Order: sequence, then structure tokens, then C-alpha cells
Amino acid sequence: MVKVFIEKENKKINVKAKDIDEIIKKFKINKEEVIIVKNNKLTPRNEKLKDSDEIKFLSVISGG
Amino acid sequence: MCKQCELNPVIILSNSTKGLCKSCFFRYFERKFNRTISQFKLIEPNEKIGVAVSGGKDSLSLLYLLNKIKEKRRFKIEALLVDEGIKGYRDKTIKDAKRFCKELGIKLTIISYKDEFGYTLDQMLKKINIKPCSICGVFRRYLLNKYSIKLEFDKLATGHNLDDEVQTILMNQFRSNQEVSARLGPITGIKDNEKFVRRIKPFYLITEKETTTYAYLKNFNIPFCECPNNTQAYRIEVRNFINNFEQKYHGTKHSIINSFIEILPSLKEKYKNDKEIKSCKQCREPSSKEICQACEIRNKLK
Repeated sequence: MVKVFIEKENKKINVKAKDIDEIIKKFKINKEEVIIVKNNKLTPRNEKLKDSDEIKFLSVISGG
Repeated sequence: MCKQCELNPVIILSNSTKGLCKSCFFRYFERKFNRTISQFKLIEPNEKIGVAVSGGKDSLSLLYLLNKIKEKRRFKIEALLVDEGIKGYRDKTIKDAKRFCKELGIKLTIISYKDEFGYTLDQMLKKINIKPCSICGVFRRYLLNKYSIKLEFDKLATGHNLDDEVQTILMNQFRSNQEVSARLGPITGIKDNEKFVRRIKPFYLITEKETTTYAYLKNFNIPFCECPNNTQAYRIEVRNFINNFEQKYHGTKHSIINSFIEILPSLKEKYKNDKEIKSCKQCREPSSKEICQACEIRNKLK
């Protein structure tokens, strides 16, 4: 299971996914609205995932 | 571009398929920031620049960068923050702003609705039936200008980025508000008018994805925090529309801003405000009417 954090919704979940794009599709995340951090490293491209990987989707949107 | 860009990219720019590594991205970002300041003549030597900070990633990155270049370009900076009094939001971001200003040794002035108008925004919302964003739209602008004059700022810099501007441009298009668009741009306001301080947007050509990446890689540690009163449903819908479009057709946002920059001089010419700017009868602040918009709301609160 991959550990996923979606900052905008403050959601933490464990998900089964083979790559980053699969998570993006599953949670209908707009790539324009996030930066993606895989195991504490910024990751702009789709990457394969393995168990115990940690993926964070940090929001780029201004808070108002 | 270097070898690292291929091996360890941190971002892929919207008009490219190639990535940039951390150090190339920093160079790209800071160059773009500097170029915007030069291209639109945002800052002149010996000016005192106020920086409107919210405590969010954009305004704090802006403060950091202006601080970094102030000696080379010979200007001074101070920070200004409006505390609306929004529990669970502004109290949090104020802490980040204070910490940040302290670390950089920058003077921070905080003005609050409570001191200025007698109530916090949270209290106002219980008293009158006006949308929170409509109150802040008027009061924030009012206070930022009033205190920019008081603190003798030559200009006021804000963290508005390319995404903010593109959204506003399209919203004005969709609602046929060209006159409002005429007031946009990287530098706004009327030159040599002593009642108004001109506003500048050094992140005008930088996307919010880029500002977030910058703040993240610089370890600014600014958590995402959203105003609980966000009533700008229309802006959110326009933002979603643009971001979906950008995903499909890369470079759309840049095209919108570039064509806007091209037509902006004619828009400004067409909507040149020849109306005399009076002083509000109640508070003496500049106003186009007898009573300014801020005092109109103030009177409803009585």
C-alpha cells in the first residue's frame, strides 16, 4: 500500500496503486493545482510506485 | 539546462516538456522575477516599497526575494499585514508572517479591522448581511492604501501571480467588465497622485505552481491554509475551467496573459479616469463619491 496525503482536503489514506497517475485519476486531482512529493522529493513526472512509498499532493492554490 | 535537469527534475514548465533541476529552477525563477521588475519598471532606485503580506507562500516568497535584491537595486522594504480577524485562519498565517519577518529582520506593521472599524470580520458577519469577500474587497484595499500613505511607501507590492491575474481577466471577460480589467496589469494606479499608492505585482509572469515549488524548495515551511469564508464561487469555477484547459492545451495561461499585456495600454487609454478624486466626507480618505465605500459599510455596522 502507498501512503497518500492530499493537502487541500487534509486527507490521509493508504492506496493500492502502480504509479502516480493512477492515484491522480482515482482522486480526480488536477495536475495544475498540485505539486507532487514522493518520499520527500519533488516529482514532476509519473513514476512507478512500490509498497511503503509516500506520496504527497501539496496544493498550489492561494488561500484567499 | 544541465545534466541534473534530466536526472533530477523538480518541475516541468507549462510551455515545455523538459524538466528543470533545483538549481536551474531557482535561476529561472529569480531571473523571471528580476526581468518582470525591469521590464515593467516596477521599482526605481531609492524607493520605499511596502510589501502586502498575508502569511501565505506567495507573499512570503515575494518578501524573501525583494529582500534579496534590495541592496543591488537600491530600495527599501517594509511589510504590511491586514488582520481581518478570522479565527482559525488569519491568526495562523500571522504567526508565519511574524516568524518570517523576524528571521529576515524586516519591519512588519499589522493593522486590524478590530482597531480600525471596531469589530473583527467574524463579528461583522454576525451584525450585517454582506458577503465576507465583499467586505474584505473594500476594507483591505482601504486599509492597505491608507497605511501605505501613512508609512510613506512609494509603492505597494503584492504576491498576485499569473494564475490570479488570468482568472480575473477571464472573469471580467465573461461578465463584460472591461473597465475593471483596465485597472489590472503588473503596475496599477495613477502616477504622481498623492492620495493613492501604486500597486506592483512582481510575480505577474510566474504561475502559482512555480511560486509553490519555490517556497517548498526554499524550505519556507508555509502550510496551506484556506479562508473559511471563501465565497468566491465564480472565481473557483473559472479557475477549474482554466486549469482543465491548461492540462489539455499547455501554454494557455501564458497566452492569455501575453495577449492581455498587448491590449492593456488601449484599455487603459479608453477607460482613463478623468473623474475628480474627492475626499470622503466622513473619513477624508480618497473617494469618487461623497461617502467612500468603506464608510458605507462602516455606517451599516453602526
